[in-house]
Amino acid sequence: MSVRRTVKKVNSDSEGDAKKKKRVVRNHGSEEDSGKREMQKSAEAEKQDADWGGGKRVSGSEEKQGCRFSLWNFWVSSTVLKLLLMPDYFSTDLEVHRNWLALTNKLPLLDWYREATSQWTLDYPPFFAYFEWVLSQFVPAVVRDDGCLDIVKEGKFGWPTVVFLRLTVIGTEILLFVVLQVFINTSDESERTVNFIIASSIALSPGFLIVDHMHFQYNGFLFAILIASIVAAKKERYLLCGAFFTTVLCFKHIFLYLAPAYFTFLLRAYVLNFSNFSFRTYRDLIFVVRWFNLLKLGVIIVSILAVCFVPFIPVLPQLISRLFPFSRGLTHAYWAPNFWAVYAFMDRILTFIMLKMPYVHKCATKIVLPPLIPNSIEEIKNRIGASNYGTRGLVQDILFIILPQVQPRLTFALTLFYQILAIIPVLFNPSFKRFIGCLTLCGFSSFLFGWHVHEKAIMLVIVPFSFLVSMDRRLLTPFMLLTASGYVSLFPLLYQSSEFLIKVLYTWIWCIIYFSALKKTVKVSTSIQRRVFFFDRLAVCYCLLLVPMVLAVESLGVMKFKYVILQKYEFLGLMCYSIFCSIGVISSWIGLSWLFNFDEPLWV
Amino acid sequence: MSGSSGAVASEKGQDTRRSCVEESFFASPLYDFLYPLRPVANQWSAKYIILIFALIVRLAVGLGGYSGKGKGPLFGDFEAQRHWMEITTCLPISRWYFYDLEYWGLDYPPLTAYHSYILGRLGSFVNATWFKLNTSRGFESIDLKSFMRITVLLSELVCYIPAVMYFTRWIGRHRNQSPIGQYVACAAILFQPSLILIDHGHFQYNCVMLGLVVYTINNLLDEFYGFAAICFVLSLGFKQMALYYSPVIFAYLFSRSAYYPRFNFPRFAGIAIATLLTFGALYAPLCLFGDFRNIIQSVYRVFPFSRGIFEDKVANFWCVTNVIIKYRELYTQKQLQFYCLLTTAIAQFPAFIIIFLYPKKFLLPYALAACSMAFFLFSFQVHEKTILVPLLPITLLHISTNWDVLSMVAWINNVALFTLWPLLKKDGLLLQYAIMFLLSNWLLGNFSFVTPTFLPKFLTPGPSVSDVADDYRRRSLLPKNIFWRIIIVSSYVCMAFIHLLDLYVQPPRNYPDIWVLATCALGFACFTAFWLWNYYQLYRMRNSSLNEL
Repeated sequence: MSVRRTVKKVNSDSEGDAKKKKRVVRNHGSEEDSGKREMQKSAEAEKQDADWGGGKRVSGSEEKQGCRFSLWNFWVSSTVLKLLLMPDYFSTDLEVHRNWLALTNKLPLLDWYREATSQWTLDYPPFFAYFEWVLSQFVPAVVRDDGCLDIVKEGKFGWPTVVFLRLTVIGTEILLFVVLQVFINTSDESERTVNFIIASSIALSPGFLIVDHMHFQYNGFLFAILIASIVAAKKERYLLCGAFFTTVLCFKHIFLYLAPAYFTFLLRAYVLNFSNFSFRTYRDLIFVVRWFNLLKLGVIIVSILAVCFVPFIPVLPQLISRLFPFSRGLTHAYWAPNFWAVYAFMDRILTFIMLKMPYVHKCATKIVLPPLIPNSIEEIKNRIGASNYGTRGLVQDILFIILPQVQPRLTFALTLFYQILAIIPVLFNPSFKRFIGCLTLCGFSSFLFGWHVHEKAIMLVIVPFSFLVSMDRRLLTPFMLLTASGYVSLFPLLYQSSEFLIKVLYTWIWCIIYFSALKKTVKVSTSIQRRVFFFDRLAVCYCLLLVPMVLAVESLGVMKFKYVILQKYEFLGLMCYSIFCSIGVISSWIGLSWLFNFDEPLWV
Repeated sequence: MSGSSGAVASEKGQDTRRSCVEESFFASPLYDFLYPLRPVANQWSAKYIILIFALIVRLAVGLGGYSGKGKGPLFGDFEAQRHWMEITTCLPISRWYFYDLEYWGLDYPPLTAYHSYILGRLGSFVNATWFKLNTSRGFESIDLKSFMRITVLLSELVCYIPAVMYFTRWIGRHRNQSPIGQYVACAAILFQPSLILIDHGHFQYNCVMLGLVVYTINNLLDEFYGFAAICFVLSLGFKQMALYYSPVIFAYLFSRSAYYPRFNFPRFAGIAIATLLTFGALYAPLCLFGDFRNIIQSVYRVFPFSRGIFEDKVANFWCVTNVIIKYRELYTQKQLQFYCLLTTAIAQFPAFIIIFLYPKKFLLPYALAACSMAFFLFSFQVHEKTILVPLLPITLLHISTNWDVLSMVAWINNVALFTLWPLLKKDGLLLQYAIMFLLSNWLLGNFSFVTPTFLPKFLTPGPSVSDVADDYRRRSLLPKNIFWRIIIVSSYVCMAFIHLLDLYVQPPRNYPDIWVLATCALGFACFTAFWLWNYYQLYRMRNSSLNEL
């Protein structure tokens, strides 16, 4: 025991030196029999009451062993599961990516964004196209013969193509594990336990499992690059941070939603310097800018963008129109659990009420003037007819019946407004904590208020939030709300009965393991306990209520064989999902915003 | 603690922390995963975590094909089970054992029929077209498949998993194994690949029969003899394959009530009455709702003496030696049946005698293994899937802490999985086969040698969260004895070779089944070797105690 104590002390002195000494001490210990026995005793005692992440003890034992916190075992086991999931259902996204593989392989560069044989045209930025081109170089002959690289209207392919594409997802996802391992290895001893939990929670996230490995997409390695930029920001390697973020932006432009946070953070932390600033004349403002830093950052970002876009200059307008299609509607067929889902739901409820009870409408018209609300019951009925017609049309736009229609401009304004609210604190205090909070809130506001948001975009919020939650226990409540509701909201992506139990059980066990692990390891950063216990309990209740909700919706689906009438009401289940989950996501957003704006001890 | 891991410890000059019994899977990935659940406050969750991951793996395997998928007009076991649900729900009991025997006539004892009836009712409630009489034959859909898969999962959840958990806990508690050691053993048993692949891949309900047998063992451990008898009869009533265990169970019950420690009439009477009543209850509905002829027919259906000496290709004595001696040409069916009976009786007799003379609790798995393996190797009409029956008591030996025993168990599990290869190949479960083989061995730490040997230093992963020292490597499970090592390693080499041949080389035209036969021959050799070792172990341990298990 005494031998170990010395190790601990030495360790705290300096790292490199300590390791050497530790080895010496260890060898020494192994030679002495009595010391050995003592150590054994202490080890046994430790076994009895050591607590995982119980703080002191584990960090102590971790120092003793020099625990590596390797993600290797997690990688192996999750890869095994992913391989078993290969015969499972896959969405049209697999055909989309196969088509991109084919067209990047077969066509010259400039035709990539013009090709339109299949309806699944290339609509990701050029880096992703390059990536597909690289992948297409590795297509084996068997898969090629299977029709993987044919540019056709509708792909005809079989098992070899599916296996190949699934393997590319599994293969590229290794990057995620590598980046997370780097994140663990570079973190301080004191926070390594909690960082290991965070990293493994991301690596084993049900979100990636459902979206990437069952539904089929390449989010794993894209988020790996995003995480790399977050880790670089944490290590104050701003150039790397900017470079990684620009890269991931050139892979998938959905990350544009996070760009304001990055822009402000890099500007404020790297480019501007207010440390010895005193305003005398406007000339002093010139010295606020660190011009050399600005130059370095600018050159890096511009060169990355150049590599990405310069080869496509002749077709740039076409490329832009592919990347930003404005013809889509406000919500997806299945409403993503955001603000607009609640809005649409309110509209449905109001319609129902007003049709059943016309005097409600009469009262409402007294308060709200007719342009904002339908004039008469007849008009409501007309609009219902029009909206039914509308959903069958090509433009899948939602038509509100009672509430005012929503314009794209409004959604952008709302998104931008809440993003700016999140950015302002970073302008004043460009710390990593603030930055990561701002990043999460930017993700939130784009998810909640954005135009045509897909439920998969929830990962854009969950991933930054995972890095945030290690800061303070009080953040755990919104985190639990977000992850539970966010992952549950991904369930409708997989609608077949065969994978129902897998997704439910996996998400359930993930939540149990990580919620309890985080509860044990994340500390309250201040001595003042300012938790509102009522909300904590409420959040737990909400998370538990998700289970009966999911089961009820599923049993509704099961009953549809027996009661054919239920088939007409299939949208009810989806609506249930999106409303219930949007409550969780929105309350999580409110909770985080509150802490972000009004709880100063958390951010110092 | 086995000597060999002690040797490793002295080699490394550290790892003093492995104390005693609980650490037999020290430094395996399973140990690493379950390590955080060590503290008392977390222990409650361990079993649920194991349970849920066991379920997830089963479900994931279930995504693959099943036997006879899309292969009309007879299809396979999946269709058989579905068909039984169909006839039990649509027909009166009196016709269950008589209806259209050519098309998957019911050939299991009544409990299977009742089980099918309940599940069929459940399924008809969901979708009546799945189980309509005659019209539903060969029905296939994703939803039906999911339903059937879930029924297997539910059966396993009720019968098998709790029984195994209780078993590991009982053994662990009675020899002061740490909770984590118990959980590791439990997980090792639940991740046994063969049962998962047959039940959730190929599609059968073996878990019910095997689970009831484990319940029997649990009751024997707790000395509830009446309940043990009930469970065993139920297991027999589900699948007649449980007969493979019956000599040992009988001997154990009999000697426990006859002379060990003294003659105990109430116990004897209790066992007898429980057995008779359970049998009566099982067959009563057949008799009440039909007539006595019904029972005769069911027994006749259950014991198919009219069928051949072996089905397909099996890794047992008759099938393998059939290559040299053509039994079917030399002897009549009757003679063959007699020879089978004789050899089986002789082969299982030592187990019977030992368990009769030494009715000790910890000997049960060994004795059951020896006895059922004897049946597998020598009895009449054996299927390749029947290896699951001897494999159950063998797998239960994962609770052992003896390195040699664990090594043999791990080996024979791999061999058994290997002999299922032709069957799984037919069902299109190659991916699942390979993955489950890798997963189960990796979890037990059999691949720990791979990382330091074949990966560069900077990639070599350490243990993630456990107390395993950084540079400590677990060795693969191999016995200490050099003789066994050679046998085991060479058997693995042969397996790999046969797999390669099977995958890449067309068999000669005259012998289309040559690779399958090679599989069987290798399997038979390994099983026999294991069986002899098992007998030796049974004999050697007859006087030792639970702690030396």
